[in-house]
Amino acid sequence: MSTWLAGRSVRVLAAGVVVTLAVSACSSPPTTGNDDQQNGPTAAEQLYAEIGALTGQQRRDRLVELAQEEGALDLYTSMNADVADAVAAEFSDAFDVDVNVYRAGSETVLQRILQEHAANYQGNDVVETNANDMFSLNSESLLGEYAGERRDMVPDAGRFDGWTATRFNLFAPSWNTELVPAGQEPKSWEDLADPKWDGKLSLELSDYDWFLTLYKYWQDNGKTDAEIDQLFSDMATGAKVAQGHTVQGELLSAGEFAVVASNYSYIVQRAKDRGAPVEYLPFVEPVIARPNGIGLMRNAKHPAAALLFADWLLEEGQEVLVDEGLTPAISPGADPLAGVEVIPVDVETLLSSSQEWSDRYEQLLTKGETVSG
Amino acid sequence: MVTAAPDVRTTEPVGDREPPALRPRRRWWPTPKVVIVAGAVGVVGYLAVVPLYYLIWGTFFDERGFTLDAFSRAYGDRDVGGLIANSLWFSVGAAILALVVGTALAYLQVRTDVPFKALFFAASIIPLIIPGILYTIAWIFLASRDIGLLNKLLEPVLGEGFFNIFSMWGMIWVEGLHLSPIVFLLMVAAFRSMDPSLEESALMCGASRLQVIRRITLPLVRPAVIAGVLIMMVRGLESFEVPTLLGLQNGIYVFTSRIYFILRVYPQDYGAAGALAVGLLVLAVVGVAVSTLASRSGATFQTITGKGFRPRPIQLGRWRPVAGAAILLYFLVTVILPLCVLLYMSLLGYYRAPSAEAFRSMSLDNYRQLAEMNRATTALKNSLLLGVGTATLVMAVMAIAAWIVVRSRIPGRQLVDQLAFLPLVIPGLVLGLALSFVYLRSPLPIYGTLLILLIAYCTRYMPYGIRYSVTSMHQVARELEESAHVSGASWWQTFRRVLLPLLAPGLLAGWVYILVVSFRELSSSILLYSPGNEVLSILIFEQYENGQFTVLSALGVVMVLTLVILVTLAYRLGARIGLRQD
Repeated sequence: MSTWLAGRSVRVLAAGVVVTLAVSACSSPPTTGNDDQQNGPTAAEQLYAEIGALTGQQRRDRLVELAQEEGALDLYTSMNADVADAVAAEFSDAFDVDVNVYRAGSETVLQRILQEHAANYQGNDVVETNANDMFSLNSESLLGEYAGERRDMVPDAGRFDGWTATRFNLFAPSWNTELVPAGQEPKSWEDLADPKWDGKLSLELSDYDWFLTLYKYWQDNGKTDAEIDQLFSDMATGAKVAQGHTVQGELLSAGEFAVVASNYSYIVQRAKDRGAPVEYLPFVEPVIARPNGIGLMRNAKHPAAALLFADWLLEEGQEVLVDEGLTPAISPGADPLAGVEVIPVDVETLLSSSQEWSDRYEQLLTKGETVSG
Repeated sequence: MVTAAPDVRTTEPVGDREPPALRPRRRWWPTPKVVIVAGAVGVVGYLAVVPLYYLIWGTFFDERGFTLDAFSRAYGDRDVGGLIANSLWFSVGAAILALVVGTALAYLQVRTDVPFKALFFAASIIPLIIPGILYTIAWIFLASRDIGLLNKLLEPVLGEGFFNIFSMWGMIWVEGLHLSPIVFLLMVAAFRSMDPSLEESALMCGASRLQVIRRITLPLVRPAVIAGVLIMMVRGLESFEVPTLLGLQNGIYVFTSRIYFILRVYPQDYGAAGALAVGLLVLAVVGVAVSTLASRSGATFQTITGKGFRPRPIQLGRWRPVAGAAILLYFLVTVILPLCVLLYMSLLGYYRAPSAEAFRSMSLDNYRQLAEMNRATTALKNSLLLGVGTATLVMAVMAIAAWIVVRSRIPGRQLVDQLAFLPLVIPGLVLGLALSFVYLRSPLPIYGTLLILLIAYCTRYMPYGIRYSVTSMHQVARELEESAHVSGASWWQTFRRVLLPLLAPGLLAGWVYILVVSFRELSSSILLYSPGNEVLSILIFEQYENGQFTVLSALGVVMVLTLVILVTLAYRLGARIGLRQD
């Protein structure tokens, strides 16, 4: 019976295969790389250099004029959606420039930019994301130079080659006030190693930047490696590991954990604002700060808008960030961290040996004794 | 009909065997069949080959050429054996649970006079709709030792902290329940196409009910069972949400956490992550090969034949109340409890245990916030468009692909089956990277539009489509097509007017499944969407990142409502166009 099919069937399959091969052959091997990287300044870079020399109102007026001619701004960012929405709306209102926001996790933002760049696709004019990813973008020579008064006002810990900090995420211990009686809360990082937190303390799966910074801090303050290892090992013993700071924050509010070692303070603050029984104040010192920053793309389609956005985000935009509960790079009002010891994440180490520290942290978490319940 | 068959045998082969030299050279003109079949093969091949090529290339080649370094980086970890063991234990457990629950329910639904049949529909769809992360979090609030509501409620009876969701059993439970609808949908289609006279004859011959189920019923639906096991094993192995949320707390790490660790540091080691995916790929290839072998004895499963049958429900008799109670319990556990937690959470400012105070603080603020989110409408519209588009395209092409795999004698037809199934193991992120790589360089304006998402979704859900349609095709006897052909119908007429209606229950089940899960697709969408083309899953992810779990719950509730309405309409419409419904 199959014969009524068999006659032409080989040709049918062959045709299908040919279609497949023909279409897939159109794509070259997935190697990346773009050779035009080092060939002199781009048009956008020339504009950055030209306007970067201007200051004050003259600079702002010129940028507004050019940005309005460009008409739009393409922003890629890992800011939370509500922050990104607020920032985009304020900027758009202020200058009548449309802002197109692509928002994703920081690794995805990085991937997207690398992919687009390798294909010579101009997807974004400006990027605002985590320190690690900003370093990566800079090392791929994708960022143009940003100069200006506002950048100069950012503290040293926030000024890097190719990018400038716009805000800081603060790592600090937080606790559930219903489960931790007043006075019992952790007062130093060392307190977290106390056995009374076994089965109640939560660590986060990806916080190796916090881990390495605290490790170095303790080394600088005279602790031996053995002592430090012991402290972390005591923390990890019986610790409940969570993935994602927001889940961790939510489960802290619900009472699944009593203490979280290294959540971002703004996440806890937001839960607190909604009435959840959580607290992170008074800060356990030193507070560990991880910068998030902004960079201008070398191949921006709307370079003036990009530059205007960077200026604005470091000036008026800082207040928008404060309103959203974040810690700005340039404090517009009274510094809420006045008198608090803040240390930046050790970016040098993070850049040079992230694999080593990631492995050490993974080992710390996975070897930790398990708790039942 | 009997006399007509030899005619076919004598006419066509002779024509084919004619020596070409004696035949006037005729220009070959593609018939609709050739065009359609070649088109389907082309689409399947294209969708599968692009990401596979990218995956294999990235895994085996670096700047210096061919290398196996990625494998030593990926599998070189000292604990990788333990991770694989955990993963297997978890995925086998979840697959068995889902299989048992899904099959039992499908059997009760299709073949018996069990009460509460209306509930099945909801029970089969709702766990699929609730995003995995919300379903898992709902279960944490239900069965955590410290804060679980069930533990609090049943403490007087069972003692303190009886349920512990943060354990291997908890992981299996949540994943198994979340997966069981896939099995249910597959098995319902299979049971519906099964001729009950076979069971009846066995009963007549004195076999007990259990014997009938074991020796007649289950063997007859073997292709569907195998398809279910295959999908769920792979899904379990690559599952990320349940192991991270439930396993990590007690130090249970699985295979996928390894991928997470590898991709966490810069520069991201896509080679090593690819090597892990290639491991899954090998497993899947073996799985498809085994399932092909196991389903080979073709005619064994063909229960839709030229002879008419009228499925008559089995009278459960005194077991009816027991079965009824079991269904109510299942419905309570998989749907009502998690949905109640979501509904409860969606009315609060933050999650807290139920109390008078908690109830006093309830408001519709989260829903208001949702309504004010202007992107929500766009996202809902885009998701609907993509969901319906993907489901329709995939099932249409897969129906043809299934015909090629099961019916045709085309050499290499099994390759179509393999190719259509393999994207199941390609991590969503790798798929996203592969597609952006291709379409960033393509002259067609696809990058940055909804089309690229459509392509991604079609690729991701093709594996489910092929399993649903191949399974259904196995049950349709060849004789029906043959008689249509003998009566003068063309291939296309036969396909459209005989096969498609017979395949309809399975195709509709696949359609519904794909529609529902495409609403949840995140891992490739997040890389490929562009401003203005947001989909619902992106919004969910954003609320999740914002830490707005209460708003997220509200969004979950809205999604459940939207999709339940949509799916009800689909089934109503199905019934109207003559789809057999119980």
